[in-house]
Amino acid sequence: MLKILIPSILLLPSTWLTPQKYLWTTTLSYSLLIASASLMWLATPSETGWSFLSCLMASDPISTPLLVLTCWLLPLMVLASQNHLMLEPINRQRTFISLLISLQIFLILAFSATELIMFYIMFEATLIPTLIIITRWGNQMERLNAGTYFLFYTLAGSLPLLIALLLLQNSTGTLSFFTIPYLPSTCSTPWAHKMWWTACLLAFLIKMPLYGAHLWLPKAHVEAPIAGSMILAAVLLKLGGYGMMRILIILDPLTKELSYPFIILALWGVIMTGSICLRQTDLKALIAYSSVSHMGLVAAGILIQTPWAFTGALILMIAHGLTSSALFCLANTNYERTHSRTMILARGLQTLLPLTAVWWFIATLANLALPPLPNLMGELMIITSLFNWSMWTLILTGLGTLITAGYSLYMFLMTQHGQLPHHLISLNPPHSREHLLLTLHLLPLLLLILKPELIWGWSA
Amino acid sequence: MAPPIYSALIISLGLGTTMTFASTHWYLAWMGIEINTLAIIPLMAQNHIPRAIEATTKYFFVQATASATLLFAGISNAFLTGQWDITYTPYTLTSTLITLALAMKIGLAPLHSWMPEVMQGLNLLTGLILSTWQKLAPLYLIYQIQPNNPNIFIALGLLSIIVGGWGGFNQVQLRKILAYSSIAHLGWMILILSFSPPLALLTIIIYILMTFSLFSSFMLTRTTHINSLSTTWAKIPILTVSTPLILLSLGGLPPLTGFMPKWMILQELAKQSLCPLATMAALSSLFSLYFYLRLSYAMTLTMPPNNPAGTLPWRLNPRHNTLPLALTTTSTICLLPMTPAIMSLMPF
Repeated sequence: MLKILIPSILLLPSTWLTPQKYLWTTTLSYSLLIASASLMWLATPSETGWSFLSCLMASDPISTPLLVLTCWLLPLMVLASQNHLMLEPINRQRTFISLLISLQIFLILAFSATELIMFYIMFEATLIPTLIIITRWGNQMERLNAGTYFLFYTLAGSLPLLIALLLLQNSTGTLSFFTIPYLPSTCSTPWAHKMWWTACLLAFLIKMPLYGAHLWLPKAHVEAPIAGSMILAAVLLKLGGYGMMRILIILDPLTKELSYPFIILALWGVIMTGSICLRQTDLKALIAYSSVSHMGLVAAGILIQTPWAFTGALILMIAHGLTSSALFCLANTNYERTHSRTMILARGLQTLLPLTAVWWFIATLANLALPPLPNLMGELMIITSLFNWSMWTLILTGLGTLITAGYSLYMFLMTQHGQLPHHLISLNPPHSREHLLLTLHLLPLLLLILKPELIWGWSA
Repeated sequence: MAPPIYSALIISLGLGTTMTFASTHWYLAWMGIEINTLAIIPLMAQNHIPRAIEATTKYFFVQATASATLLFAGISNAFLTGQWDITYTPYTLTSTLITLALAMKIGLAPLHSWMPEVMQGLNLLTGLILSTWQKLAPLYLIYQIQPNNPNIFIALGLLSIIVGGWGGFNQVQLRKILAYSSIAHLGWMILILSFSPPLALLTIIIYILMTFSLFSSFMLTRTTHINSLSTTWAKIPILTVSTPLILLSLGGLPPLTGFMPKWMILQELAKQSLCPLATMAALSSLFSLYFYLRLSYAMTLTMPPNNPAGTLPWRLNPRHNTLPLALTTTSTICLLPMTPAIMSLMPF
C-alpha cells in the first residue's frame, strides 16, 4: 500500500521543484507511472478477504477497483487541465496540481482505511481540495454558491455520522473493519436505534447522491473546472457508495425495514432526474443529472444488500466513473472552443470535429448501457436483484432504462447531428492530447468487457 | 504608549492571571481578576479614538458588574459554608451565581452582547489579548468550582455555540466575526467542562493557537473589514494560502487541527450518552463555518486580475515579525495526526 501512497505524496514536492518547462510533462508521466503500478492491487491472492494488509491500511475486492480508478484518474485530470491552466502564472498551476495530488492522497487513504474513523476523516478531508478547486478555478459567478452547497450538504450529513461512529466505538470498543462484522449490534431503545441507523447512512446517501438530497451535485459539477468535474463524477460519488457498502454490515437487522423509503426515493430519482435530463439546455448539467440517475440505481442496489446487487453496484460504479468522466471531458472540448455550455450553440459538430464525434458516440453508447459494456452488466445485475426483491421495481427500473437511453440519444443527436449553427464557421481541431485523454478513459472500459472479474467485488 | 507604562500594564496582566491561578481564597482570586481588568483598560484606550473609549467603557461596566457579582457569590458561599475555599461550593445558589458571573466575564451566551462591540473598538493586538489571555483566569475558576449538576454548563455551552454561529452571519467587520467565533469556541469548552476537564483544557489551548494565528494574519496586513481582505493577494500572497486553512481549521474541518477538540468532545458526549446534545452542538457549529467560508471566499477564492472589490490601502511599516505567525499557523494546520500524543499530555 505504501508503494503507491508514498510516491503519491512525493508528487507534491516534485510539482513544486520541477522547472516550468517540464511541469506538465513530469506530473503526467509520474502520475501515469503510479497509475500503472497501482494495477498491482488488482492481483488479489486471497479470495475471501483482505490483501496488502497492514494494521492501518488494507485492500479488499471492493476497495481495489475504486483505488485503481482513483490512481488512474490523476494523469487524466492532469491531461485535461493542461489547456485551461496554460495562461495562469506558474505558481497557480503548481497549486492546482498540488490540489489534485492531495485529493489522490486522501482518496487512497480513504479507500484503503481499515478503521471507520480513519475513513471518516479522509472522507471529510477530500472536501477541502474539492471546494478549493471548484470555487477558485470555476468559471462562473455561481461557483461560490456551488461550493457552499457542496460543503454544507456533505457536512450536514457527515456530522451525525461522526456521532454515530463514536457511539458505536463506545459500545463495541473498536471500529476496525476486521472486527466489526463479528460484534453484536448495539441495541438501545428502538427509536434511538433507528436514529443511529439513519445517522450512519445519511452522509453516504447525500454523497451518492440520493434523489432528495442531490441539489449540490448539479451545481458542483457544472461550476467546477474539468478536473473538478472529473474527480467529482468519477470517484467522490463512489466514496458514498463505498462507505455505504462498508457500513451496511453493522446496520443489519434494521435495514430490512428502514431501507424501504430510501430505495423508493433512489428509484424514483432515477426516473425524475432522467426526465430532467431530457429538458436540459446546459450540457454539463445534463451529464450531472445523468450521474444522479445512475447513482440512484447504485444506491438502490446497495441498500437491498444481496450479493448480485453489491456486484452490480460495484461494476456500475466503476463503469459510470469512467463514462461520466469521459463525457465531462467531451463537454470540456466543446467548452474550450465555444466558451459556452449551452447545447444549442454547439450543434452539428460531427461535421466540424468528426474524430471527436467517434468519442461522443462511444461515450453515449456507454452511458445508455449498451451490451457488452460493463455499464450494462452492472445495471442488469442491479435490476435483476431488485426484481427479485420486489416485482414492482421493474416498472421503475425499466422506465429508468428507457429514459436513460432517451436522454443519452438526445445528448448525442443534439451535439453531433443536425445542421451547424450559422455562427460556427470553424473550430480548432481536436488536439492529440484530447484524443489521448478519451482513449485513456474508454479503452479501460472496453477492456473490462474481457475481464469483469476485476471489478466484481466479493462474488468469487 | 510609553514603554515603561506599556510594560507595567503587560506585567500587571500577567500578574493578575497568575494570582488567580495560584489562589485558593475567594478574595485573592477576585483580586487577580480585578487586576486583569484594570490592567487591560488603559491598553484598550491607548489610541484615544472615541470608538476605543466606547469599547473600554462598555468593557469596564460589564466586567465590574461581573466582578461584583463574583465577589458577592464568593462572600455568600463563605457565609453559608464557613469556608473561603474556592473548590468548596456545595450550594446550588452560590455555584450558579459564580458560574453566571464568570460567564459574563468571558462572554458566554446569553451574557455575550458586550463582546462584539467591545472587540470592534480595539486594535487587533488588544483584541487578541482580550480573546485569549483574559479568558484564562475565569475559566480556571469555573473549572475549580466543580458543580454537582452540569445542566447550567450544557445550557450555557449550547446557547453559546448557536449564538456564536448565528450572530456572526451578517457581520462584515472582522473583529466582530472574531468575537462571535470566540463565543462559539468558548461554548464548546464550557459544554465539556463538567464531563472532562482535560478536554476543556485541550479546547482552550487549540482555540488559543488558532485565534493567535488568525489575529496575526490579520495584523500582518492590517485588515479589519472583509473588503480589505481581498487585497491580501497583492500584498502577501502566501497569506492567501494559509489564512483559508486557518479559517477552515477554526470551523472544525478534518484533517485540520480544529477538528481535534470537536472530535474529542463529541466522543466524550457519546460516552455520556448525550447524543441529541452532541448532534445539536455539531450541527450548530456549521453556522460559524459558513462565515469562515465567506471570509475564505473574499480572501482567496475570488481573485480576478483586476480587483474592484477592495480599495488599495497604504502599505506602511514593511518589517514584520512573522515567527509567531509561522509557528501557530503550522500547528493550526498540521497537528491532527498528533492527537494521541496531545491527549496523553492532558493531565487532569
